Amino acid sequence: MAGLSLDSKSGSHTGYAIETIELTKKFNSFTAVDHVDFSVQKGEIYGFLGPNGAGKTTAIRMLCTLLSPTSGTASVDGYDVVKQGNEVRKRIGLVSEKMIMYPRLTALENLMFFGRLYRIDRNTLKKKSEELLEMVKLTQFKDKLVGSFSTGMKQRINVIRAILHDPDILFLDEPTTGLDPQSTRFVRDLIKELKQRGHTIFLTTHIMEEADELSDRVCVIDHGKIMAVDTPQTLKDRYNTNSLLNVFLELTGRELRDSANERISMRTPMGRM
Amino acid sequence: MLLFFFILFPILLMSMFGYMYPPISKSNPTTGNIGTAFPNLPVSLVQMDNGQMANTVAAKFIQISQQQGLFAVSETASYQAARNQLVEGKLKGIIIIPQGFSDALAAGQPATVQVTVDETNPTTASVVQSEISAVFNIIGSSMSTQDINNMDGGRVNPAFIMHPISVTEIPLISGVASSFQFLAPGFMALTVITGSLQGVAAALSREKEQGTMDGLLVSPIPHVSIILGKVMAQTVRGLIQGFLILGLSMLLFGVQIYGSPFIMFVVLLLGTASFVGVGIIMTAIAPDQETAQMMTMILQFPMMFISGIMFPIDQLPGWMQYIGKALPLYYAADALRKVVILNAGLNVILPDIAILALYSILTMAAAIPLFEKAMTR
Repeated sequence: MAGLSLDSKSGSHTGYAIETIELTKKFNSFTAVDHVDFSVQKGEIYGFLGPNGAGKTTAIRMLCTLLSPTSGTASVDGYDVVKQGNEVRKRIGLVSEKMIMYPRLTALENLMFFGRLYRIDRNTLKKKSEELLEMVKLTQFKDKLVGSFSTGMKQRINVIRAILHDPDILFLDEPTTGLDPQSTRFVRDLIKELKQRGHTIFLTTHIMEEADELSDRVCVIDHGKIMAVDTPQTLKDRYNTNSLLNVFLELTGRELRDSANERISMRTPMGRM
Repeated sequence: MLLFFFILFPILLMSMFGYMYPPISKSNPTTGNIGTAFPNLPVSLVQMDNGQMANTVAAKFIQISQQQGLFAVSETASYQAARNQLVEGKLKGIIIIPQGFSDALAAGQPATVQVTVDETNPTTASVVQSEISAVFNIIGSSMSTQDINNMDGGRVNPAFIMHPISVTEIPLISGVASSFQFLAPGFMALTVITGSLQGVAAALSREKEQGTMDGLLVSPIPHVSIILGKVMAQTVRGLIQGFLILGLSMLLFGVQIYGSPFIMFVVLLLGTASFVGVGIIMTAIAPDQETAQMMTMILQFPMMFISGIMFPIDQLPGWMQYIGKALPLYYAADALRKVVILNAGLNVILPDIAILALYSILTMAAAIPLFEKAMTR
């Protein structure tokens, strides 16, 4: 594991990038995350896998300080997500299921706006934005409205938006869902590249080959509980198969997950005024 | 497009209400001037007496009506025919000069003119009625003047006998007091306040649903800054909207400003501050944008009617007045009206301002922690 040797800028005491103890989130009577303990090492890509409704997004949102835990604790880079939220926020980047991009701003404007939230000075930010746009091959579109971009383009810029401030830890919630094969390949390579640059990456995905290809370790979660944590290879060996998908199905069963989630179904697609 | 709707709608509403409540016509029997908000209303004259006096009076009526642009007068042969036209909506009133009109006057008896008005529309009905009376008053006065001069040989001023006491008004403000003068400041306050209330609710919940709110919340900026940013943006938008509406009402309806634009600005700013907190609270409570919008609408709609925007609050039943006076919009509209129409200074509207400030503090104090909580629910 490459992680531990990397000299990162963290204020960590535990040595872990992420550590949770008995982390729990309840929505009324429904327990989305149920007394979960796990730890992510610095510099690794940690694949967080589970069927729909398993609690992946809830866990990510707690780690990003967007949700407060019902009980238990979580620390990111050594900082408590509840008590030291602001320290945590300085050190993380988030790519969530919904694009964090204003469709009515241009690519560069979006990057400048979000970068300024981290008090990066304008000149540095401009240089950094252009550098990152070049990296994801969007330089020629930098002055075009993000609303006019294809899904793949949006996701590429969405990913670089999350790393403008050089976060130690990057949370990627299903970053390749809905992308075409070319964009998927590109984003996966980008994730590897980001690991090379020293970012710790917390990745959720439904695509098992993606998890297998990218992750140093994977964690399988279901019904809010952890079913297994190990390297993809060890898990495959344990279940005597050469596909992580089979491991996943062994762990979580073949039953379809059709239960309607209250929190999601309450939301209606937004209509513009 | 959105702004167009926000500007056009209040203007439309205002013109509707402005014409619904016509200004008090300041008719003056001595000078013979009758003001009207509804020029050239169609009426018909049914002349059932062909005596000389009847002809003279009828001609005089037509002449005055046309001169002052009060009525477009037609003549109809029978009352029944005129009544049919009125029922069809082609006429607003019928004036009947009955048989025996000339004979009565010749015999030195008071004569009667009969009037029928379209009672399906109370506003025009009362306008038509009072304007017809006013015209006949003028005709009557001139007849009396002649008679008195004939009898008295010009020693006494005939007006002394007919109107020994007359009333003249010292206007509070110069110019014509039109209902628009009352409506414009109210609508301005309404647009600015509800505009920013809805704007904040819509903007916050849109960001929440769009997902960009997460981007703001995971960054190390204080949550209060997010709220303040939204509030400021929407307030500026609301203010621009409000002053556009004022500008348009000056242009379209001849509204005049007698007070200081700076004090107007202060009142509007405080009015907005008193209400955006409510918008934030609603966004915090509502699960999605649609619900948030519905909640603001539910609050906003009755508020338009009971805060003295469209008609004075004194016209409401007592308990409704209490509710109206519990809402900050009433104070904003009241203060703004005093400034715009009466050139009131800050000292005059101080009570209004104090109440608005109190509202601002209370609602914001409730809104900010509620928002914090709702965002990490």
